[in-house]
Amino acid sequence: MKFATFADRADEMAAEPGDLATVALVADALAAAGDGPEHRSAGGETATADGTDADDDLPIVARFLRGAVFPGWDERTLSVGPSLCHAALARAAGANVTADDIEERLAETGDIGAVAADLDLGGQTGLAAFAGGGDDAPGAGGSALTVREVYGELVAVAEATGGGSESFREDALFGLFTRADPTEARYLARLVLGEMRIGVGSGTLRDATAEAFLNASVTTPTEERGEDDRTEEVVGLVERALQVTNDHGRVAKLARDEGEAGLRGVSLSVGRPVRSMLAQAGTVADALDAWGAVAVETKYDGARVQIHYEDRAADEPDDRSGGAVGAGDAGGPVSIYSRNMEDVTGALPELVEHVREHASPPAILDGEAVAVDDDGEPLPFQEILRRFRRKHDVERMREEVRVELRAFDCLHAGGDDLLDAPLAERHDRLREALDDGVSELLVSDDAAEIEAFESETLESGHEGVMLKRPESTYDPGTRGREWLKRKPDVETLDLVVTGAEWGEGRRAELFGTFEVSVRVDDSDDDERAYATVGNVATGITDEELADLTDLLEPHVRTESGQTVTLAPAVVFEVGYEEIQTSPRYDSGYALRFPRFLAVRDDKAPADADGLQRVRRLVGDE
Amino acid sequence: MFKAIVSASTLRDALDSVSVLVDECKIRLNEDELAIRAVDPANVGMVDLTLEAAAFESYEADGGVIGVNLNRLEDIAGMANSGDLVQLELDEETRKLHIQIDGLSYTLALIDPDSIRQEPDIPDLDLPAEIVVEGAQIGRGITAADMVSDHIRLRVDEAEEAFFIEAEGDTDDVDLRLDREDLIDLQAGPAESLFSLDYLKDMNKAIPKDAEVRVELGEEFPVKLHYEFGEGMGQVTYMLAPRIQSD
Repeated sequence: MKFATFADRADEMAAEPGDLATVALVADALAAAGDGPEHRSAGGETATADGTDADDDLPIVARFLRGAVFPGWDERTLSVGPSLCHAALARAAGANVTADDIEERLAETGDIGAVAADLDLGGQTGLAAFAGGGDDAPGAGGSALTVREVYGELVAVAEATGGGSESFREDALFGLFTRADPTEARYLARLVLGEMRIGVGSGTLRDATAEAFLNASVTTPTEERGEDDRTEEVVGLVERALQVTNDHGRVAKLARDEGEAGLRGVSLSVGRPVRSMLAQAGTVADALDAWGAVAVETKYDGARVQIHYEDRAADEPDDRSGGAVGAGDAGGPVSIYSRNMEDVTGALPELVEHVREHASPPAILDGEAVAVDDDGEPLPFQEILRRFRRKHDVERMREEVRVELRAFDCLHAGGDDLLDAPLAERHDRLREALDDGVSELLVSDDAAEIEAFESETLESGHEGVMLKRPESTYDPGTRGREWLKRKPDVETLDLVVTGAEWGEGRRAELFGTFEVSVRVDDSDDDERAYATVGNVATGITDEELADLTDLLEPHVRTESGQTVTLAPAVVFEVGYEEIQTSPRYDSGYALRFPRFLAVRDDKAPADADGLQRVRRLVGDE
Repeated sequence: MFKAIVSASTLRDALDSVSVLVDECKIRLNEDELAIRAVDPANVGMVDLTLEAAAFESYEADGGVIGVNLNRLEDIAGMANSGDLVQLELDEETRKLHIQIDGLSYTLALIDPDSIRQEPDIPDLDLPAEIVVEGAQIGRGITAADMVSDHIRLRVDEAEEAFFIEAEGDTDDVDLRLDREDLIDLQAGPAESLFSLDYLKDMNKAIPKDAEVRVELGEEFPVKLHYEFGEGMGQVTYMLAPRIQSD
């Protein structure tokens, strides 16, 4: 495809306000990208690792439309910042235009594409323009740019290293810009800086792929589609293939060449990162209501890592099924990727060692890299940041900050892709694949048990818990409702302790549960100056329980069995998930999942929060 | 097979003339000469260099091609004193170049020649004007032009039999007039082209001040600059594509 054709089509997309019409334009462009007869021959056998074979423009066009040169999993980047792009443009723009001039114009329009399109770029000729007919050298100037040539030049730009690579990148971009007409220049500049501004999101490209190659009717309104329309199913198939491969180009090519079967056949490749599944904020109550049982695990205050442990026979991908079993077997390469699929292997040698010692290849593990102190207790997030992405002094920093793995998911083990397996099963496979460093998983439908797990987690210094649907599949890159991170307390309440219960067993000598109340300002009756709003039993260590018992025992008014009433004297700061109306407590409200945070010894009961504040928080006032 | 001994200064002159345009290049180890042709990443400037076997103290080659990182090779050559001899020997097995300078030996890893940018077919240009001028004069014109602009115009006035180096800045202009008597030779013809100073400045760095530079020029055509080094046994031709002058 000529780059001018690509640019014209991009221009049409930019001008099209309708989402469905944009999908249609993108679908046309994808179909046109692979129009040549030569593209249909071999079913991807000649494809290189990035799905770019010698004469098929489709993968390139698909990625270019998203402003990407390389697939999402690919480590390569252009290393072209705005200033380099501006310098190259200025050189191409002719006599006495400087990078500063470009930046001035950019400040006016805010769009490098518009600036580039307005420049007079065509002045500098290339030598090939004078070479006569026999120009068969790729990349030689003079003729019209093709999508493939632009791709080839940008690959060279990305792969340039060492001294002089900066000037090489500028020269190569200058060479491209000198050959661009205004529309080409607009999209070339935007492509180089990774921002196409044509309203083509990942979803648009997905829909257009289904439309162009799989007979989907995305652009037909739902109500006008036939009874047996499979559009949604097919779009889902494309989406899944995108999640697994992280490569719009490859998925488009598969859809065209091998259809639905090809998309169904995509599998994870150990050593090639996929996007991480993400969590929304949520509450224990939400989770229990929605799922019945909840899988609970510690939320680590670390950095997300995806660990790929390849088989020893990594060069024989067909021999994966017979992968080595049993921990400690020497496997192939170990690679560690950040949440953004950046390779951070070099910064975390102890995780590599850990995986080599404790995991069985082939495997893809999802987890968290946490900084720990000498006792294995978690350290704050800032500490892991001192290690993550570090390129120099790795060994020295390793002495200062210890990093450990807490693995909580398994995407691939022993030759099996596990994305579609339920979480509980994946966790079983995780424990098989890794014999140390696996995060504990509690599956429970009991709110009290979950609370206990959470308070234990908080006591150990972690920041909270993750709640996951036990049956959920692993959806790369998705921030859905299947994984929840427990919402941090939005606001806390300062509440008066008006009662308590003695504990049981070894805690029989200590108070275990505390009744907390709000102030009722308009009450004339001293006995009714406080109204109960909940019972707090979590978030308290044994040591704190002893202190609290000592603090409260002098204020006991009455005692009946295990239950005592207390004179208002002590104020607790209490966290909670939400406030509900409830007949159970005097105030008419109940705190859900209340947690003890601290004793407010700076506050008297009269300074505690009143019922009005609770009403306000609920929105009743 | 390639084994050669060459004076450090000749080797450095050769490498410098190429490295002003590119960081990597292919070197053709022909039986009778060493040859380099390389084009810059934008396909705007090209260098064509030959160094005859006679320029070496000894030279044996059978026609192979190697790819080298020029910066690396220049650094090594920079370790030699100007009177030193440099011995180069290709290890076919390991694809490495062994370099020896006065007891210092260095093994240079080579680059796959196929990974190096393919140069375009060399335009076979019949340019109407030819100016032979001292390198120093060209350097003077380029330095002056660089004060006011990033482009330079090379022009021959047939009637006045003069060669002009001109530059127009936003406010200031520069104009160097070289009459026939200032030049070594002049074949006047219709010739006027505009060029990027970026490239000419780089090329000028490699052109010796005392060299006879033969300039071939046309109307909105590439310029060719020829000069010799290594006592006449090395030849360099630069070619530079013009900017089309918009109105």
